[in-house]
Parts: sequence; C-alpha cells; structure tokens
Amino acid sequence: MSWAINNASMLAHLTGQNAYLALVPVLVGLVVSLPLGVLCVRFGWLYPPVLGLISVLYALPGLALFVVLIAYTGLTDTTVMIPLGVYSLAAIFPSVVDGLRSVPEPVRQAAVAMGFGTWRRLVTVELPIAVPVVIAGLRVSAVSSISLVSVGGLIGIGGLGYLFIDGEQRDFATEIVVGIILIVILSLVTDTVLVLVRRALTPWQRGRGRLNRRADMRADLPILPAGMQMP
Amino acid sequence: MITFERVTKRYPGGTVAVDELDLEIPAGQTMVLVGPSGCGKTTTLRMINRLIEPTSGRILLDGTDVQQVNPPLLRRGIGYVIQQAGLFPHRTIEDNIATVPLLTGWTRQKARARARELMDLVGLDAQMARRYPHQLSGGQQQRVGVARALAADPPVLLMDEPFSAVDPIVRATLQDELLRLQGELHKTVVLVTHDIEEAIKVGDQVAIFRPGGHLVQVDSPQHLLAAPADGYVEDFLGFDRGIRRLSFLPASMLDLDAGALVGQQTSATAALAQARRAGAAWLLVIDAERLPLGWVAVSQLEAAPGEASLAGVPLTPGQEHTFAVDTGSLRSALDATVLSSTGQAVGVDSDGRVVGVTSYDRLKTAIQRADEDARAEEDARAEEAAPAVEGAAT
Repeated sequence: MSWAINNASMLAHLTGQNAYLALVPVLVGLVVSLPLGVLCVRFGWLYPPVLGLISVLYALPGLALFVVLIAYTGLTDTTVMIPLGVYSLAAIFPSVVDGLRSVPEPVRQAAVAMGFGTWRRLVTVELPIAVPVVIAGLRVSAVSSISLVSVGGLIGIGGLGYLFIDGEQRDFATEIVVGIILIVILSLVTDTVLVLVRRALTPWQRGRGRLNRRADMRADLPILPAGMQMP
Repeated sequence: MITFERVTKRYPGGTVAVDELDLEIPAGQTMVLVGPSGCGKTTTLRMINRLIEPTSGRILLDGTDVQQVNPPLLRRGIGYVIQQAGLFPHRTIEDNIATVPLLTGWTRQKARARARELMDLVGLDAQMARRYPHQLSGGQQQRVGVARALAADPPVLLMDEPFSAVDPIVRATLQDELLRLQGELHKTVVLVTHDIEEAIKVGDQVAIFRPGGHLVQVDSPQHLLAAPADGYVEDFLGFDRGIRRLSFLPASMLDLDAGALVGQQTSATAALAQARRAGAAWLLVIDAERLPLGWVAVSQLEAAPGEASLAGVPLTPGQEHTFAVDTGSLRSALDATVLSSTGQAVGVDSDGRVVGVTSYDRLKTAIQRADEDARAEEDARAEEAAPAVEGAAT
C-alpha cells in the first residue's frame, strides 16, 4: 500500500497510458465498423467474407503481430495499437451488423413508406435503434482492450503491463497486485461510462416491462476481463 | 382518384402477383381490397406508393403517373398504416406522429402542435404525447399509427391489414373509429384485409381478389352480398351472406304492428277483443310512457276475470328484445325477433318508446320488398353505360 502511495505519480501515468493505448483502437474500431457494418447490412453477400477476414485477423496472436509490425512501425505506440484495433474491430463490427438487423422490419418498412430517404433513414431511425447492441459490443471491446494492453509490456509499451514485468523481474508481488487492481478499476470505470452513455442515448428504453428490466440490469453488470468473471 | 391501368406484377421466378389489373378507386371513398393470401391485394396496395414497382401498366394518382414522381416525395403525400403499427420505438408518441411534417420541413413546434391535434382526433389522451410506443397497448399503438399517417393531411391513405394484429374487441372499436374518421375527413382510403367481415363493414366499395392476382368483383358491400359474381365470391362471402345483407337494409322498411300494443290499465275483456281484432296470439303491454312491460298471451286473457286490468296479470318477458326503428337495420330486427320467446320483437324510437312489434311474416314482407327494389336498381344499373368501377374485371 505504501509502495503504491510512494509511486502514485508513476501509477497515474501508467494508467493514463493504458487507457490511451486501449481506447484509441476501440474508437478506431468503431469508426471503421460503422460504415463497414452499414454496407454489409445493405449488401448481405458482403457480410460472410468480411466477417471471415476479420475473424482470421482476430485469431492472429498479438505477440506475433508485434514482431511483424516492429519492422514497419518500430517500438512505438502504433505497434501496440494496431493489433488492439484489429481486435476491437472483431468485437464491434458484428455488433453493428446485429444492431442494424435488430431494427424491426415493420419499423424499417414504415420509415420507407413515410418517405425517408436512404441516408436519413439510416441516421435518424436505424442507427439510433441499433445503439444498445452497438454499445454492448463496445463494452466487450473496451474492457478486453484495456487488459490486452499489458501484452505490450513485452516490448516496453504496455501501460500498466509494465508493473507485471517489472514486478516479476524484481520478484515483487505487491507491484503485480497493484497492476491488476488498477486494470480492474480502469475497466469498471470505462464500462460504467459506456453504460451511462447508452442510457443517455436511449431514453426510450427506460421502464420496459419487468422482464425486460431484469435483462437490462443484467446487461448493466460490469464486464470483466477473461479470467476475472464473477462466479 | 387512383387508377390502375392494365397493371401486372411478375416476380423474377415467374410468379404473377397481380395480373392485368384495371381498377378505379374514387376520391373520398374507402376501397377495400380483400382476398386470401397470395391474391395480390397487398402487392396492389404497395404499388400505389412505389414500395413495389409494377412490371407493366400504369398507376395514376389524380391523373399523374406515380412512376414520374420521386419515391420519397410521393410517399410523403400518401398516408400509410401497417399491421403492427411500425412505430419508431426511439421516438415519443408526438414525435412519431410528427414524422412526415418534420420530414417535409415544418418547425418542430408546429409539427408537435399538429401531433397534439391528431392525438385528439384519433382519441388518444394528450398525456401520452411524451410516452414511448412500448408503453402503449396494441390498440393505442395502432391509433398512433393512424394519426401518424394523417399528420401531413394527405388526400390518400393506404392501410395494410391495419387491424389484424389486435384482439377482436379492439379491432371492432378501431373499425368504428375509422368509419367515424372517414365520415369527417373523406380521404381516399385503400385498405387491405383478408377478413371479409371487415371489408363489408368499412368499405364503400369492396374489390375481391382471387389467388394469382385476379380481380373478380368490385361492388358495394350491399350489392356484393345480394349478387355475388360467381361461386368463388359466393364462397368467399360465407354461408350467411343472406342474413348479413340485411345489415344494409334499414329497420324503417318494416311495417310494424301497432295494433298489438295494449295499455296496462286496459281491462282483460277489452284486451281480448283487441287481440281478436288484430288476429294476434300475443299482446305487448306498455305503460303510460309507452315503455314496454312484457307480453300477455291470448290464452291468459281468456282465463282472466273480465273487468280486472292487466296490471295484475303475470307477463311473459321478452320486451327487452328491442331494436331501433330509426337507426337499426333489418338484421337487428330479425335478431331481436329470433331471440324473443314470443317470436315477436319490439321496435322502439330513440327514447325507447314502443312504435310497434314485428313478426316473422312482417320481416318476410320487408325482405321481399327490399329484393324487388334491389332487382329494379340492378336493372337500372345494367341499362346505364357500365360505370367505371364495374368495368374492373376485363
């Protein structure tokens, strides 16, 4: 505990770096997923090949990607963020597609029949209705990205991952425990922010019957990184 | 007015959804397209606002070929109501209703004011304005759907099975509401349904389709029931069309028997004399206000002490089987007659006062007279040059 207090400024810096390294790729993943998802919903035949390609990229081990990327981008933040971006894409892209497909057919039909143009329908009807599903994908992606950043510690750019490597080398357990706690806290905070964003964007989902509300509460439980799931 | 000119819709697989349709839908009337699934009725409806494009032929809206109009612009000028209402779940009720006004560039304030007007028109509580669709019942959602379709005051309203997703009681209410609205607004309404009862209830004209996209008959409900064009239409109309047709004939056609009414203070002897004069087996006892009290049988009068008034005689109930002479139909009169244990029903005026009573013979006479009138009208129509709506099936 006293170690953490003595090193507070370093820990704050590492936490900030971790958040930055993890969340910029998520944002990029979202920005790429939106148009890609829209295209794949409009042209259904595109979806299987695109999803296949993204799944293959997702299956690549992060370390192997680092090794390849170092040759091009060197020991920079970019080297860490590119794989994380790919992983984010893999989590967010299907949720954009699912979200757009969750728009009920009668609603879509009604929008066409009311005289919405394609673009206007997308922006004012389909995307707003897709928000809950898209944000569910964002939450998974953000939390896993935050914990995956640690892997970058192996090439010296790993946010809080530094604590694991340093703690291991110095055989100093406290440092590792503090690292884990900070990652969990960062994940919880990020997740909470996303839940709040979803609530702000979807006032229409409030108070949907008791059954739905229960499902909604479950949806609001924090998502924890793999291996840290609550029983 | 909407005109279909030799309109065909053929799908790539070769299926013909609509086959060489000629149909004229007069302005300000309700045209119901009815038929079993796969008969092309919905396809016909959706070609009007270009949700589906015809393979060949033309559809004219007040003389303009709809193919010449940009689809979104065309659609903003045509109200559209679908089965599950299709409300936007993420918008409040007032914003749902204001959809088309907002699309056409009204200010939000003006569009919302219009939405409030429409909520009032379709019978929705103003408190619901800020709620979301999922907070409303199915029937209320469908009212919102109708209000949304009417928001920009389009001359044409398309309704695709609008009431089939709600329970029968709510459905009947919504149908009545549509009739009331149409009485005020006089839109050109095209409504698709598979329910012939609904078609007959809400339609000024009913177009019956057969699988394969063929139009079989277009006619007013009354004529349809009286003179189905062929066996298919007859089957489709159902087994009791003879009785249902009576809904369209006014109860005022009945020649009611006022001689079978007797005041409560009349003596048994006088009542018996009256019954014999009228040749009646039953007399209806009424009070000083002419409200019905119950029936008395001739056999009871014969047994009763001569000078006593009818006040002491036990009456046979059945006086509750009444029908409104001014507003009811022959069907309501027949129904009341069948239900009454005396085989006679009581015709009352708007205050519930007795006008006279029916009998099966009197109903029969009225129905025969109606049939003669219909035949005369049929002949007159046949002599005219075939009106446009008649020329539908080519």
